[in-house]
Amino acid sequence: MARVAKIEQQPVPTGTALVVAVGLGVAFLLFMAFLNVVKSGNLLNDSNLLYAALIFYSGAGTLYLGFGITGTPAYIRFASLATWAGLIANTGAVAHRWIEAGHPPFASIYEMLLMFVWTLAVLTLIAEKKFDVKVIGTVTMPVAIVGVVLMQLLRTEVRPLVPALQSTWLHVHVTLAMLAYAACALSFALAMMFLIQDKTKTETFLAATSLFGVATYAGVLTRFEKWGGLSVVAWNPQEKSEVFLSKSVRLFVVIPDLGWLLLLVLAAVAAPFVLYLIWRKTQNQEFLDTANRAVFLSILLQVLALIFFILRVRDGHYASLDADGLFPTTLAASPFILSGLIGGIFVSLLYLLLLWRREELERMLPSADQLDRITYKTIAIAFPLLTLMIAAGAYWANRTWGSYWSWDPKETWAAITWLVYAGYLHMRITRGWRGRRAAYFAILGFAVVMFTFFGVTYLLPGLHAYA
Amino acid sequence: MAASAPRKIWQTLAAIKTGVVLLILVVILSAAGTVILQRPATEPDEMLRAYSPHVLRLLDALGLTDVFHAWWFVLLLSLVSLSIIAASVQRFPNAWRFFSRPYKSPDDAFRKALPQHKLIPIQDEEASLSIAERVLHKEGFGPERIVREKNFSLFGERNRFSEMAVYIVHASLLLIFLGTNIDALLGWRAFVTLTRGQQSSQVKPQNGNPHNLLFAIRCDGAGQENYADGTPKRWWSDLSVLENGKVTLRKQIVVNEPLVYRGIRFYQASYGKTGKIDRLVLAATPRNGQPSKEITIGLDETLPLDAGTTVRLAEFIPDYVVSDGQVYARSNELENPAAHLVVESKKSGQAVDVWLPPIEGLEQNASSPYAFEGKDVQMAYFTGLEVSHEPGQWAVWAGAVLMGIGLTVVFYFVHTRMWVVPVRDASGQLQLWIGGIANKNKDAFEQRFNDLVEQIESELKVSVRTGAAASAAVLTGK
Repeated sequence: MARVAKIEQQPVPTGTALVVAVGLGVAFLLFMAFLNVVKSGNLLNDSNLLYAALIFYSGAGTLYLGFGITGTPAYIRFASLATWAGLIANTGAVAHRWIEAGHPPFASIYEMLLMFVWTLAVLTLIAEKKFDVKVIGTVTMPVAIVGVVLMQLLRTEVRPLVPALQSTWLHVHVTLAMLAYAACALSFALAMMFLIQDKTKTETFLAATSLFGVATYAGVLTRFEKWGGLSVVAWNPQEKSEVFLSKSVRLFVVIPDLGWLLLLVLAAVAAPFVLYLIWRKTQNQEFLDTANRAVFLSILLQVLALIFFILRVRDGHYASLDADGLFPTTLAASPFILSGLIGGIFVSLLYLLLLWRREELERMLPSADQLDRITYKTIAIAFPLLTLMIAAGAYWANRTWGSYWSWDPKETWAAITWLVYAGYLHMRITRGWRGRRAAYFAILGFAVVMFTFFGVTYLLPGLHAYA
Repeated sequence: MAASAPRKIWQTLAAIKTGVVLLILVVILSAAGTVILQRPATEPDEMLRAYSPHVLRLLDALGLTDVFHAWWFVLLLSLVSLSIIAASVQRFPNAWRFFSRPYKSPDDAFRKALPQHKLIPIQDEEASLSIAERVLHKEGFGPERIVREKNFSLFGERNRFSEMAVYIVHASLLLIFLGTNIDALLGWRAFVTLTRGQQSSQVKPQNGNPHNLLFAIRCDGAGQENYADGTPKRWWSDLSVLENGKVTLRKQIVVNEPLVYRGIRFYQASYGKTGKIDRLVLAATPRNGQPSKEITIGLDETLPLDAGTTVRLAEFIPDYVVSDGQVYARSNELENPAAHLVVESKKSGQAVDVWLPPIEGLEQNASSPYAFEGKDVQMAYFTGLEVSHEPGQWAVWAGAVLMGIGLTVVFYFVHTRMWVVPVRDASGQLQLWIGGIANKNKDAFEQRFNDLVEQIESELKVSVRTGAAASAAVLTGK
């Protein structure tokens, strides 16, 4: 009873401290950036605008997280304001890039990330204002921040478009793809929130988090080489492009010892799942506690691996198995590995948030019923977009290669994505699937989207070598 | 009732479970087709390098190295089509009945079971119905009066067509399948290479016999433009279509912009050097002191130099080496060129070999009546054209457009129905029963239904008040 009384005596949090701190931080960073701009004399380029967007998104992310943890309503207002400011800067960056390049910014992974982050910010504001899902920024803003940080690392010059990409239909195709994928991402986040509201056990999320980490690191470790090295694509700093041995065959260099480190991290992210299985078998609570500690440890190891990866890949010359001599590489040559490593950390952190703040989260989220309906609605938006995206892509392929469908891996996986969501809609409409099963289906759908977007490019060969 | 075997098969096909199982199979097999290397896109030696002979033999035997053209994959897609047809046919009569004969006059049981309904006490049946009619009309429900035993009720609806949209989507999918099947049976892909000035009416498929076209295609020029940094910006070919020797169409094609003639499409696919010469520009100076003249000559072309002398370009080697008194080509690049000219004199009937540059043992340059000097070389380039005939593609595009429309209707047009029925409750009080239903997006409809009821209620109140005032006026006799 004494504890309760103590809690009751605490003042109601007004949230001024965090808002002031974030505000000062944003102001300080903007001021520092402004000094730099004054020195260089070049105010409006996409790098500066992107930096501004990063600052605002970071502020918004902190405030959303603050809201997620404390539930102070004042945070949301300022978080939305910061998101708006970030969105304006982001829009400016897109516009600048568009004007500078002379074509809509869809040609490289950098430009697509730019668009993806933009769409994500727009959808966050829509979800918040229209559907009243306030806490969504807790998930989407960190994703946006990761996106902008990745862009800073992957910064590329405006490169001329190869002839096959000079088509309006390509822009239609990619715009639709980004919109559809952002809607899929939103449906995924909503399905996850549904599972939280539907009283899915925290342990289940533990297992899922661990399995996601295992899948990510197993994917990265397909590049494991003999003697513990890790293959990454070689980079030509003069041409600012990947090194090709022949048409669409990239040259790989081996970074020694990095493979061992990643293997160790794989073991660390797999450990919570193993402990979870033991707990299921023995029902001994201790194993679960150890599993949660193992998550914490795995995050530390993942951060360590990321730092090592960045340090070793950022510059330096390495030997290759396919050619004599030493070749340089850079982070821009390995966007997928980098996204995988950052994504793994991010997912683990989200799990910790859930583990520590589950009750507060549940109080803040809309009801399970409502989340279920909104998930369906976002998929009802995503599915027609997916359909049109595939049709526009087929039309473009027909004008470029003379065939609208050639079963190339990206095409096939786009079709698989479409089929999975078609399955979801049929089960929901004709079979009345609601709630948990529908949520699992929505999550599966997004997993396939992610594989189509990242996995196919990274793991499977094909015509879509540009993206 | 014992079902016959064909009927059973039909019902199994129509079941949603069958459809889902088939779709899962399609997903698994096509995913396998992206993970396992596929012929013919992968070269045979690369297949051998990737898989051990045993595994490769097994994969080949199962058709897993060409999943998307294997008979079982085609069979699977046919089953999917059949399942869609069966499911649609089985559900269609019900849906059509629902669509063509809307339920306009709800009975007691329906009125009780309908989740979305409201009862409002009223005074005057006719006046209240008119008010409800007006509100429904304003909100776009297009209400009609339904005759009941002694009185009227109202029925109004919006977007009834959206009930049929799902059939449009399924039909569009079948249309796409139809198009791809037509192309699989009647379509073909081939390739033709042309140099400037060359024409052809025959194209070669990847395997099989050459196709003869009903017309000829001629290349009038081809080229490449580069960005400042040297990466290619644009490849183009000027093409002419000839029928019976007459040009019927000219077009410049680039990547993404094919030429279409009689359903056959020509795409810019590749561009490169043939290693052969297109034109050589020479300065020819007579040894008798007359002024020199410039000539432009192609391979195997014979040009007159004066009344009694001709010159022919017999050979051109872009990158030559001499070995054992023979001239060989080292590469197709214009690195170290050599030209072999034959100068013939009609008077003496004598032919002299001239080599530029002079190659020892072969050249007789000194005996030639003309001295030659190379001025310029134009190498010949070829343009590679992908040729395709896809008569079914129009069905595919029509299907895609139809599907876009169908999905829009399915997801964004809600069929909503409203009924208004005057009833009496147990105590004999006259009431207006208002009910409504939507076929999807039910939470949004709930809001809309409540708004509608509120609107009707408030207008009823106004009319009761004015009605009361009017009757009061009648009573006081003013």
